[in-house]
Amino acid sequence: MGNKQDIQYVVGKEKRLKDLISESELSPLLNSALKAGICNITLKDDTGNIIVEAKQEGFTSGLSCQYTLTVEGEPAGQLLITSDAEELKPLADLIYEALRSIINSNLKRVLTTEVHSSVVTQSYEELLETNRKLKESETRYRDLAENLDRKVQERTEELKKAYTRLIQQEKMASIGQLAAGLAHEINNPMGFIMSNLSTLQRYIERLREFINTQAEAIRKTSLTELISSIEEKRKVLKIDYLLQDSIELIRDSLEGSERVKKIVSDLKGFSHIDDAKISIIDINKEIDRTLNVLIHEIPDDAEIVKEYNDLPGFRCNPASICQAFLNIILNALQARQQGLKLKISTYYKDGMIHVIFSDNGPGIPEDIRERIFEPFFTTKEIGKGTGLGLTVVYDVITSYGGGIDIESKTGEGTTVKLTLPVKGDGDV
Amino acid sequence: MIEYDETEKRMVFKLVYYGPALSGKTTNLLRLHDILDTEGRGDLMVLDTKDDRTIFFDLLPFFLTTPSGWKLKIKVYTVPGQVKHDATRKAVLQRADGIAFIADSQLSEIRNNFQSFENLEKNLTFVGLDIATIPLVIQFNKRDLQKIIPEEDIERVWRPTGIPIFFASALKGWGVIETFQMLLDKTYDYIDKRYSLQDVHGLSKEEFIQRIVRKKAMDH
Repeated sequence: MGNKQDIQYVVGKEKRLKDLISESELSPLLNSALKAGICNITLKDDTGNIIVEAKQEGFTSGLSCQYTLTVEGEPAGQLLITSDAEELKPLADLIYEALRSIINSNLKRVLTTEVHSSVVTQSYEELLETNRKLKESETRYRDLAENLDRKVQERTEELKKAYTRLIQQEKMASIGQLAAGLAHEINNPMGFIMSNLSTLQRYIERLREFINTQAEAIRKTSLTELISSIEEKRKVLKIDYLLQDSIELIRDSLEGSERVKKIVSDLKGFSHIDDAKISIIDINKEIDRTLNVLIHEIPDDAEIVKEYNDLPGFRCNPASICQAFLNIILNALQARQQGLKLKISTYYKDGMIHVIFSDNGPGIPEDIRERIFEPFFTTKEIGKGTGLGLTVVYDVITSYGGGIDIESKTGEGTTVKLTLPVKGDGDV
Repeated sequence: MIEYDETEKRMVFKLVYYGPALSGKTTNLLRLHDILDTEGRGDLMVLDTKDDRTIFFDLLPFFLTTPSGWKLKIKVYTVPGQVKHDATRKAVLQRADGIAFIADSQLSEIRNNFQSFENLEKNLTFVGLDIATIPLVIQFNKRDLQKIIPEEDIERVWRPTGIPIFFASALKGWGVIETFQMLLDKTYDYIDKRYSLQDVHGLSKEEFIQRIVRKKAMDH
């Protein structure tokens, strides 16, 4: 197929006289002219070359008529007609007219034929091109139609995931703000409640001591009546029990306050109220350190398998990352009391540190899997868990641009996969 | 340029009357044919029209000889305006040296004008010509009719393009010569830059235009 810019034929190309006249076409006219008495007919182009010539045999000379032939209005050649009789002039004129009309109609025919064939060639090429494009788009559409279902599903799945992530992020963000405010508000009264409770504890000790001393002193006097009435009153009012119980009440309250403080501190960690120093750490060492902290919590029969690989340094707040590991390990420890097997593996691949915790616990029930990162969501007894464990994990890991993925099979165990991107300046 | 023949000392140029269907391209040529003197021009050749619609093209040739002895031929063509004849338009447009765009002034034709102009731009690119540099004039024809686009509107839209605008009625015969003259004016500059009509051939712009636009004596 030719290049489109390179159409060979150009409308307007100059035509020569000989392009428009053929001898075979002229010969009937010339022959009848000779028969009618014309002696010689000569047709020359504008440079004097003879295009067509016809003459009577034995012709030598006679009277000549000369005509100019034009093509597109321009002189293009000469017609010379010679005869031996003057009355043949009208015949010569007639021949000239005939020739002129032949030239003109031939010019028109040539021009239209040329345009026509050029147009046909061009149209044919355009048709081929159109056909090719149609085929191309048909293939594309067929492909699309075949894969449409799958693509829609994929896309829907992606959107769903993105949407869930978005909701999760928004929830986290708003909870974070709420938690920061809440923690601050609770911290202040908690401070003086705890301080007051401690003071009160000391006061009651001293009051008990004083009451006991007083009772002892009274008993040593001879005021029997008074003594018996006081002892009577003391029994009725259950003063001994009261004193004992007051101390326990305060101790319990202090314990409760301690728990509130812990929740608040978790909340603070969760909302990054106290951002500690950033340093470059070795994740493997930090996991070991976390395990050491938990040593008393780990049952004797538990099996901890470590599969560590060399990791590049990771730039983070060590306390927060340890907190995340701690929460995950604690979950595993609490999930199964006996025969726990916890495998911890780490490796580095394509700019990502992977940390995988895999336990053989009961797994996360399917109906709550979607809620495990939700703040304050817990399956533990009240007082045992704050419901912030995985929330903190989520928050810590995502704050480093990492990801957390939890796979769980009921009755088989849970695997927590963490990915942490290593930034350039964190490389060892 | 269609032809440049050193040995025969001959240059052949092409001017094209472009525009939407029935805007009066052929009528423009007919008027030029009527108004201009037979000396220095050939006959108008109308190639196969059907119901007065151009299928191929019309051709009106002009000739002159430069002081340097070169033959100059200016062939003025029309294209078929109907959308379906696009291939013919491309063929005619090839190697054009100047274009007169004949627009139809009727309000109902605004869309067709724009479409045809777009088609001109597209086809010029197709044949390797640049609309920004090729001599171009625009004629708003049929100003004698009712329900036509007001002159102010046309001015507002087209003046900023810098393309010369003419108002005409080819049917009544006015505006046709002015359009043609401006087209020759711009074409002269275009050709002169390449072939030095003035410096090498001694042909001034005034003479060039005068020799082609020769009105018949009886018209005055």
